[in-house]
Amino acid sequence: MKDNLERLIREKQVREAQAQTRRHFIKSCAQGMGGLALSSIFMGCDPKPSTNTKSTMAFSERDLNPLATLSPPFSPKVKSVIYLHMAGAPSQLEMFDYKPQLHKYHGQDCPQSLLEGKKFAFIKGTPKLMGPQAEFKQEGESGNWVSNFLPHFKSVIDEVAFLKAVHTDQFNHGPAQLFMHTGSARLGRPSIGAWATYGLGSENQNLPGFVVLTSGGNTPDAGKSVWGSGFLPSVYQGVQCRSEGDPVLYIEDPDGITRNLKKSTIDAINQINKEEYAKYADPEILARINQYEMAYRMQIAVPEVMNINNEPENIKQMYGVEPGKESFANNCLLARKLVEDGVRFVQLFDWGWDTHGNIREGSIDLGLRNKCREIDRPIAALILDLKQRGLLEDTLIVWGGEFGRTPMQENRGNKEMAYKGRDHHGDAFTMWMAGGGIKKGAAHGKTDDIGFSGIEGRVSVHDVHATILHLLGFDHEQFTYAFQGRNFRLTDVEGEVIKEILS
Amino acid sequence: MNLVKHVLLWGVLSTAILLGFSCQDSKRVDFSTQIKPILNNKCITCHGGVKKNGGFSLLFEEEAFAKTESGQPAIIRGNASGSELIKRLHEDDPELRMPYEKPKLSNEEIDLLTRWIDQGAEWGEHWAYSLPAEVDVPSIANEASFVPESSPSFLKNDIDRFIWARLESEALEPNPQAEKNIIARRLALDITGLPPSQELLQDFENERFTYETLVDTLLAQKTYGEKWATWWLDLARYADSKGYEKDMGRSIWKYRDWVIDALNTDLAYDQFTIEQLAGDLLPEPSADQLIATAFHRNTMNNDEGGTDDEEYRIATVIDRTNTTFEVWQSTTIGCVQCHGHPYDPFKHEDYYRLMAFFNNTRDEDTPSESPVLKLYANEQQKTVDQVLDWVGQYGNEEQHKIYKDFLQFTEPVYKSHFFKEFQNSVYDDHASVVFWDDGNLIIEDAYTNNSSYVYLNYRSHYNGTKVTIREKDANGPVLAQFTINKASENTTAQFALKNIDRKTDIYIETQNDAVAPEVNILNLYWVGFIQDMPGMERSGWSKINSAFIKALNTTAETVPILAENPEYMRRTTQLFDRGSWLTQTDTVQPGTPETLNAWNPDWPENRLGLSKWIVDKRNPLTARTLVNRVWHQIFGRGLVATIEDIGSQSEPPSHPALLDWLALRFMNEHQWSVKNLIKEIVSSGTYRQRSEGTPEAYQIDPENELYARGPRIRLGAEQIRDQALAVSGLLSTKMYGPGVMPPQPDGVWKTVYNSAQWIESKGEDRYRRGIYTYLKRTSPYPSFLTFDAGSREVCTIRRTITNTPLQALVTLNDPVYIEASYQLAKNNYILNNIDLSITKSYEKATLKKITPTRLKVLKELYRNSLLEFSKNNEAPKVFLSFEKQPTPELGALTLVANAIMNLDEFLTKA
Repeated sequence: MKDNLERLIREKQVREAQAQTRRHFIKSCAQGMGGLALSSIFMGCDPKPSTNTKSTMAFSERDLNPLATLSPPFSPKVKSVIYLHMAGAPSQLEMFDYKPQLHKYHGQDCPQSLLEGKKFAFIKGTPKLMGPQAEFKQEGESGNWVSNFLPHFKSVIDEVAFLKAVHTDQFNHGPAQLFMHTGSARLGRPSIGAWATYGLGSENQNLPGFVVLTSGGNTPDAGKSVWGSGFLPSVYQGVQCRSEGDPVLYIEDPDGITRNLKKSTIDAINQINKEEYAKYADPEILARINQYEMAYRMQIAVPEVMNINNEPENIKQMYGVEPGKESFANNCLLARKLVEDGVRFVQLFDWGWDTHGNIREGSIDLGLRNKCREIDRPIAALILDLKQRGLLEDTLIVWGGEFGRTPMQENRGNKEMAYKGRDHHGDAFTMWMAGGGIKKGAAHGKTDDIGFSGIEGRVSVHDVHATILHLLGFDHEQFTYAFQGRNFRLTDVEGEVIKEILS
Repeated sequence: MNLVKHVLLWGVLSTAILLGFSCQDSKRVDFSTQIKPILNNKCITCHGGVKKNGGFSLLFEEEAFAKTESGQPAIIRGNASGSELIKRLHEDDPELRMPYEKPKLSNEEIDLLTRWIDQGAEWGEHWAYSLPAEVDVPSIANEASFVPESSPSFLKNDIDRFIWARLESEALEPNPQAEKNIIARRLALDITGLPPSQELLQDFENERFTYETLVDTLLAQKTYGEKWATWWLDLARYADSKGYEKDMGRSIWKYRDWVIDALNTDLAYDQFTIEQLAGDLLPEPSADQLIATAFHRNTMNNDEGGTDDEEYRIATVIDRTNTTFEVWQSTTIGCVQCHGHPYDPFKHEDYYRLMAFFNNTRDEDTPSESPVLKLYANEQQKTVDQVLDWVGQYGNEEQHKIYKDFLQFTEPVYKSHFFKEFQNSVYDDHASVVFWDDGNLIIEDAYTNNSSYVYLNYRSHYNGTKVTIREKDANGPVLAQFTINKASENTTAQFALKNIDRKTDIYIETQNDAVAPEVNILNLYWVGFIQDMPGMERSGWSKINSAFIKALNTTAETVPILAENPEYMRRTTQLFDRGSWLTQTDTVQPGTPETLNAWNPDWPENRLGLSKWIVDKRNPLTARTLVNRVWHQIFGRGLVATIEDIGSQSEPPSHPALLDWLALRFMNEHQWSVKNLIKEIVSSGTYRQRSEGTPEAYQIDPENELYARGPRIRLGAEQIRDQALAVSGLLSTKMYGPGVMPPQPDGVWKTVYNSAQWIESKGEDRYRRGIYTYLKRTSPYPSFLTFDAGSREVCTIRRTITNTPLQALVTLNDPVYIEASYQLAKNNYILNNIDLSITKSYEKATLKKITPTRLKVLKELYRNSLLEFSKNNEAPKVFLSFEKQPTPELGALTLVANAIMNLDEFLTKA
C-alpha cells in the first residue's frame, strides 16, 4: 500500500517535473527515468565514443534540447498553429459582420444609452452611426456573410468557423495586442506561441519552433513582447524571420567562410567541449554540443525554408507572392512551408489596419479595401494549399485583430474628419478559425442590430486561448508554469473552450 | 514541495531521510516546517485566499479554526479523530475524500497532521515571516583536526561550517580548492564581470599577494560597480526608452550612473534603499538623492494616442507597489490587487494600503515625463543659486524648498490633460491643449496659493493672443489678463494675477481676432501657481525675478524623478473592486501588512516611512532577500532556490540557518555593506572549490544545492560580449553617459509612430561594456536578448539561463565576435610559429594552459582553414574586411580564435 502510494507520488512528480524546468527534469531523470542514453548523441559525429560517454546515466532528450518534442496530455486535433493577426484592428463591419440596420441609422446620433459609461480612444461627444461601407453577400453552402472587400474569401468560406461576438476589455493597440497574445494587457506573460512551444517542443529540430513573420511595414504596436516568452525560458520566445537581410539574425556565415569551414569550426568546438565534459560532467556542456550541431543544421534549413523562389509558378500565383519584398502574401506561403516542415507555431502580423479615417490609408472605405486586397487572395490560397497537401487537418488557422471597430463614425477632436473612419471597439468583433478540429462553416455568436455588442455567443479572449490550447491537446486549466510562488496559465483564472465551433 | 521531494529522493538517500522521519515520531510537530508546507501544497488552492470551498480556508489562523459551511469547524484542537479535516483524508468515497480529485496524502503527511491536531493544533508563523535574533554557527567536533579528506583547506570562514554540516549529514565531501588561475578568473568575473588583468593574475599566481588582497583589489575596481549594476538594473527595470506602443526615448541614464557609483562607493544597502524609494523626501535632498528616485521612474510611460493618462498613471503606481515588494521582500504582492493572497498571509486591503504610499507623486503619464530634474550646467547653476540665496535670505525654509523644487523640476503645476469643458479648444492627446480664437476651458478645483503671479508653459504661432483668466467661469471676476506672442519653443512665462487664497475653478479664455476660426493660436502645456517669492518689496527683487524666469527657460540634461504632491493636490487611495481601477470602493490609508514587522509611529506615513520600514532590522525579508540574491549571483542558485519568492510557496532554504546568519550578519556586522557581504561569500572555502563534477555527483545533486563542488554557470549576456572585447583588447574603459549603439543588424528597429534610428556609435563607443548599450524596450540589442537578457519592461529578478542554437549563431557569426576573434588572433600572432600563436590565443582567452588534445584540435582547424583560404584569395579579404593586408594565416587564426570564443569553457564561469 505504502509502496503503491510512493509510486503514484513519484509518477506524479515526474509528470510535473516534465512540465517544469530542465534542471528539475535532470533530477527526476537521475532516478533512472526514461530518456536518451548519452552515448547515442555522439553517434552522429564520433563513431568511437570515448570511454566517459559510455556512462550508464541517462538524460532526457529535453535536457540536451529544450525544443525536443513532447506529447500533449490529451489527444491533439492539430500539430501546428498559423495565427494571422491584423495589427491595428480590422473592421468587422466591413468584412464579416453584416449589419443592414446600420445602413438605416447611418448619419444619426449614436444613442446615449450606448455611450454611457463607455470609453473610446478618440471619439468625443456624441458621434454619428455609420452604415457598412462595403456590400455583403451570403456565400458557400454555409451561407455565411462576407463583403465584397474579400472576393476570394468565398472560395474557402465553408472551411471557416466564425466567432461573431468576441470581446476584449482593452481598447488601445499595445495593451490589446498583449492581451490577445499573452492573456494579459500588462507585460511579463508568455505569448500563446511560447506556451505551445514550451508544451510541445518542435517537430523539426533544424528550425525554430515558433516563428514570427511581419508585414505592412511595421512590427506590432506592443513590440516583441507579443511573441515573448515572459517568465518561460527565453528559448520558447518567437524567432522573427525577416524578408530583408538575414532571415534569422546571424544565420548567415560571415563573408568568406564556407560551409566546410563552418563545419570544421563546429567540429573543433565540440571536440574540445567533449574533453571539457569528461572533466566537469556538467550536462550543460552536452546541451551546448547539441545546440552547436543544431545551429549548423539550422543555417541550412532556415534559408531554405525562407526561400520562396523555388516554389512552382502556379503556387506563387495562387498566393500572389512578390519575391524579395516584405508582403503578407509571401508570409502566407512561408507559413505553409514552415508548418509543412514541422514548425509548431507560425505567427503573422500584418500592420496597417487602424482605420480611423484621419488619413487616406486609414480610411474605412479606401484604405481598408486596399488592406483587404492584400490579404484576401493569400488567405484563400493558404487554406486551399494546406488542404490540397492534406495539412489543413493538422493545422489550426486563427484570424483576427486586437479588437474591432465602432459602428459610429470617428469624430476625433469632436470634428468631422478628412476620411471615413471607425474608432477602436472592444465590445464585439469577429475572429475566425479554420483547420483541424474546427466545425466547417460554423458561425458562433451574434451582435445587436448595429454591431455594437454581442447578444448571443459572446466569447472572450481567454475563451479563444482555451480553444487553441484545447486543439493542441491541452486542458488550459491544467497547463501551468510555476513562477513567483504561483501556477500561471495562459488563461489566468478564466476561459472556456468554445465547443460550438469544434467538430 | 519539501515532502514530495523527500519521497522522490528516497531511492538515493533513503536511509538518512527515513531515519529523519522515524526519529520525529514522538516529537512535537512543528507547524512552520512540517504542517504549513502540507497545507500550502495540498490544500490551499481550494481552501485559501481565493477559493474558500466549503467555507473553509487555511490561510489565516482565525479562518482555519472558524466554523465552515457545515456549521462546525473542520479542525478541533486536541481531537484529531473528531476533526473533519482528518476524517476527510481517510474517506473512501472519492466525492468526499480530500484532496478532491487529487492523490491521497501520504501516510506520513496524514500522520503529521493527526499528531499536530492531537497536540493542540498550534498555529505558527511561516519561517519567512520571522527572523531569529541570532543564529549559532554549527560547531565542528574537534576542529583542530578538521580536515575533509578531499579538501584539506576547505574551512575558510563560518559559511563553510554551515555548508559542511549539511554535507556531512548527506555523507558528502567537498571538492578540493580550485587552482589559482581558475579561482582568479571565477572571482574576477563574479566581482567585475571581466577576466582578471594579466598583471593581477600573475601577481596572484606568483604569490606576490594573497587571495584576500585579490578580492579587495577587485572590489575596489570601478568595473565592480558596472558588473553589479547590471544585476540591479534588471530589478529596477532600467531602459533607455519609455515602452508601450510609441516607445520613445527616455533620458534616464543618470540613474544608471548613480547605481554604478552607489555600488562602487558601497553605499550601505539601507541607505541605498531609502534614497531610491524616497530620496526626494529626505531633508534637503542632494541632486544625487533625487536622481536615485528615478528607480521608480523606470516604469513605462504610455504615449499611445487615445490612452487615458490616469489609467496608465495607476498602472505605474501598481508597478511601483509590485516592484518594491518583488525587489525588497521577495513577495509577489501583485496577487493581492484582486483578492486576498492565494497562499501568503496578505490581505486585499494590504495591497491598497501599500499602494497608497506610491499614489501621491506628481508624475502623471504625460509625454514630458514631468517631473524631470534639471541638471543645470555650471553657469546656469550660478543663476539658480542666486535666486535660491535670495529666497533663503528673505524667506523661510518652506519657501526655499518651494523655489528650489520649482527651479529643479517645475512642479507642482496643473497639466493640460486635467483641463475640462473645452470650447473652441481641445486637448490634443498627450501634449497640450490647443486654443482657437474665442477658446476657453476650465481647470477644476485649482489652488492658486495666494500667488501674485500665474505661470504658463506654452507655444504659439501668432502674436497678440489675448488671454483672460477668471475665477469659476466665463462670468467670474477677472484674475489676470495678458497677451501672448509668438514662441516656437516651449516657453514658461509669468503674468500678474489677482491674489486669491482658495481652491477654485479657474477659467481661461483666448482671443485673437487677427486669426481665422479653428486655427491653432496657442498650445498650453501647464498652468502653475506658486507662492510669491519673498523679498518682493526689496530692491534687487526684479533682477532676481528675471533670473528666476530665465532659469525656468534654460534647457539642461534631465532625469525623471519622484516628487510628492503638495497637500492641496493629495490623492486619496481607494480599494479597487477585483483589481479594476474603474470601480473604486473604500478609502484606505497608507500602511504595511500586519504579517510583517510593526510600524514605528515615529516614521512619516509616506514613502520615506515605508523605506524605513523596509530596512528596519526587524523586517524578516529585506536582508534575507538581498543575501539570497547575492548568493544566487555568485552560485547560480539561491539558498532559497525561488529567489523571486521567499514565502509560503517558496522552496524551503537549502541551508536555513546560513540564510538567517548571513542576513543578520549583513545588517549587524557588515552594516549593510554589500561589498563586505560579497567578500565574505567569495572568501569561503565553499566558493573556492573546484567546479569539476562526476556523473555520480550530478546524479546526487544536479543543482549543486549542497555545494560539494564550486559554481559552474554560463556567463550573462553582457558578460559574454564584454569578455570577448576584453580578451581581444578592444574593450573601452570609458564609463557613464548616454546609452551607446554598437553595430547591430540593419532593420532591427521598426516601431510604429517612432522615427528613432539606431545610429551606430563611432570610435570607442562601439566597444563599451554591455551595461552602456542603448536599451529600447520594444527592440533590445538582439544578441543580448538571445543570451537571456530581458527587455526590462517590468522588474526582472532572474534571467533564466538557456542553451540554444541561436546563441551559437551569435558568437559564431555576429561581426562583433569576428572582429574580437581577429584582434585576439592578431595580438597573439607569432610569425612562423602556429603552435605558439594558437596557444597564446587560447591562454589569453581562457587563462588556462592548453592541453595537447585542444592544441591538436585547434591546429587541425587552422590547417583546414588555411587550405581553404589559400585556395580562394578573396576569402580572407572579405572575411577580414577591416584588415588592410589579410593573409590566409591571419584568416585561419581568426577562425581558430573564434572557435576558442565559442568554447563552453569560455562562455562559462567555472
